[in-house]
Amino acid sequence: MESGRALPWDWYPGAIPHNAVIADTAYIETTFSFYLYRSEAPVGIRIGHGASAYLGTMFDVGPEGRICLGEYALVHGARIICDCEVAIGAYCLISWNVVLMDNYRVPLDPTERRRELSLVPLRVGRHLRSTTPAKPINVGRNVWIGFDSCILPGVSIGEGSIVGARSVVKDDVEPFTIVAGNPARVIRRFREEEIRYGA
Amino acid sequence: MKEGLYSNSESEAQQQEPFEAGRWANGELPSNVRVGLNTIITAEYAFKRFRSRRDVALNIGAHCTMDGVHFAIGEQGRVGVGDYCYFTNAVLLCELELLIGSYVVVGWNATIADTDFHPVAPAERIADAIACSPLGKGRPRPEILRSAVIIEDDVWIGPNATILKGVRIGTGAFIEPGALVVHDIPARARVCGNPAQVIGEV
Repeated sequence: MESGRALPWDWYPGAIPHNAVIADTAYIETTFSFYLYRSEAPVGIRIGHGASAYLGTMFDVGPEGRICLGEYALVHGARIICDCEVAIGAYCLISWNVVLMDNYRVPLDPTERRRELSLVPLRVGRHLRSTTPAKPINVGRNVWIGFDSCILPGVSIGEGSIVGARSVVKDDVEPFTIVAGNPARVIRRFREEEIRYGA
Repeated sequence: MKEGLYSNSESEAQQQEPFEAGRWANGELPSNVRVGLNTIITAEYAFKRFRSRRDVALNIGAHCTMDGVHFAIGEQGRVGVGDYCYFTNAVLLCELELLIGSYVVVGWNATIADTDFHPVAPAERIADAIACSPLGKGRPRPEILRSAVIIEDDVWIGPNATILKGVRIGTGAFIEPGALVVHDIPARARVCGNPAQVIGEV
């Protein structure tokens, strides 16, 4: 998909960002998803063959952020807050209102937070500058994340795992594991034959 | 979305004094809304469910950014917000009172509600369903539990968090993403989970 191009079916008068690399076979429902996109990286977002991002998906990417969406990954209304790197593997299914954040963007200390907040309204555009170090998020291939879940900074989710709806994931998830809850805990692990042949 | 917040790319440009009067980027503010200098409200739907008849139903201080916030304020609801607050796509549901201090951040899709919306007792809920139905015009609704929510200065509320009625959140508290808060939170506590538990201090 050509960068700088508007989408013929789009209701929003936006365009694909210049530093986006999007496969021709990928589907972006609306360029409104790039409303908060301000990456200045050589490639700020990469969307693979057959991947799709539907209405409500927001790529909230800071100047140094990079998002990678693997082949056939399906993102249906997630908020991706990215100041360094969020990688989503092939065949992932990401549901609505999911938050993937690689950065809290504000300091934990209230006094320091106040300093940043007093500067934000002076900036044209009013972006929160990240004042905390970002920690990359890595979602392995074939991961399914249920609606309303939050994936917090630094989390890696292994291949084939499932995150149940409304979970909050703060720690890494091993491959082929089902986790759920707030905070998330392991529900069970897939058996070898399920992984290889299906139930 | 022509006057959206983010129509400018990342820019070093600074707003200069004297600051502009507070405004709603998508239209004219309802007459019972007060906003301070340099405060900006965006989103066409911001006041879609704003029905308050209070003299001052929404009072927002100066230098606030209210990007995509739903002000769903009922007829008797009243919301006060301090200065330098930063809310993105939060949902404020108010039938009584929400008091929010200064330097408060509310993340995407976080919900703050001071009401149960419907009565708890089953029989009353039937009456309420009828009163709320297309056939219920003019029928009075049963009494519904409401209790003010107070969020003190310097509180951070993460995305997808939920704050329910009657809660007071102390100064500087840090509410982790996705937390569901049903009890008071002490100052400077760091909380997470459903129901939210204190896991440390900031």
